[in-house]
Amino acid sequence: MKKIIAVHSYKGGTGKTLMSTNLAAIYAMNKHKVALFDMDFRAPSLHAIFKVNSAKYWLNDYLNGVCNIENVIVKCSSKAGDNLYLALANPSTEAIREMAAKDRKWEMKALGRLLSLRNTLLNDLEFDYLIMDTSPGLQYSSINAIVSADTVIVVTTMDISDIEGTKRMIHELYDLFEKKTGIIVNKVPIEMISTLEEREKLRKKYEEISNLPVIDVAPCFCDVLRLGGNTIFSLEKPEHPFTKILKEIAAKIEKL
Amino acid sequence: MKSREKTLRRSEIQLLEKIKESLDRLNEKMEVIIELQKQEPKNIPEQLPDALDVMTLLSLPDHLRKTAITICKLGRATADEVAEQTKRARAVESAYLNQLVLMGYLKKERVGRKAYFYVEREGEKQ
Repeated sequence: MKKIIAVHSYKGGTGKTLMSTNLAAIYAMNKHKVALFDMDFRAPSLHAIFKVNSAKYWLNDYLNGVCNIENVIVKCSSKAGDNLYLALANPSTEAIREMAAKDRKWEMKALGRLLSLRNTLLNDLEFDYLIMDTSPGLQYSSINAIVSADTVIVVTTMDISDIEGTKRMIHELYDLFEKKTGIIVNKVPIEMISTLEEREKLRKKYEEISNLPVIDVAPCFCDVLRLGGNTIFSLEKPEHPFTKILKEIAAKIEKL
Repeated sequence: MKSREKTLRRSEIQLLEKIKESLDRLNEKMEVIIELQKQEPKNIPEQLPDALDVMTLLSLPDHLRKTAITICKLGRATADEVAEQTKRARAVESAYLNQLVLMGYLKKERVGRKAYFYVEREGEKQ
């Protein structure tokens, strides 16, 4: 089933980008046509991960109405094959400043352009998945992404301020937009979930605490940090236990 | 004689159609008035808004937000089309849509007997 997925979080540094890049790579490896969008205009990151330093058109240009989405999307050949496409946010300070200064009218038009992606990307260009990596917290670009998505994945850490904020954000914001939501509790110390039973028990515990559907709990592996975000983990280390967990999460999200 | 009867009947039908059209419009206006009376006056902003952005959507009461988001998704639609998406009655959607027009968030345009609602986006084709 074709789907638009927004990956969001309450706080920064929870692992949104790690999750969205790996989800995109895993779906692409499974022969799905995937578009990965960098919607974090305050702190763009996909250009660095995928080593793209210049682009004729950025996602910023599409939202500004100066080009079509076809002009922004670039094919990314990797170990995932040829099914992964990227739309990048302009990382220049000038572009970040400009995006931060947009008014309500512009944001309204941007929402219109995001909503029209369902037709152009999923129907006309025949993409199976559109994954949007967003900025943390409550801000225009992220809420616009959430409103245009079918499913929202919220990545949180075990930190109490993160859990509390996530809970409030979902109950007071997402519920208003009637969005299908799933939480991933990330960076859990590995010794807490060394067995499948422990992992499932902790997942249920967070489901009770938050009163929200928790997709999974994911451990914190130093191997992930060691790579320094230089590559897509699941592609670089296909046999690693973390990759196995990422694949399980990807399968669960497909069924959401 | 027969043809005279025919023309008479045709003009009668035309008249009846006109009356029905007027009644439809009247009905629509009544729905708006009834709906407005149900709402607290605080829902209507003093200054007319100029944009229906996500933060504004958030500030709307639940029943209107659903209608407003549907129009955002459809771009331009009749009350029938909105009702089909929201699974609420056409008359209800018509009332909510007209209320959003009165609040300044939506624009309304009549084409023949149909009324279209849309978000005004400057410099963009509807």
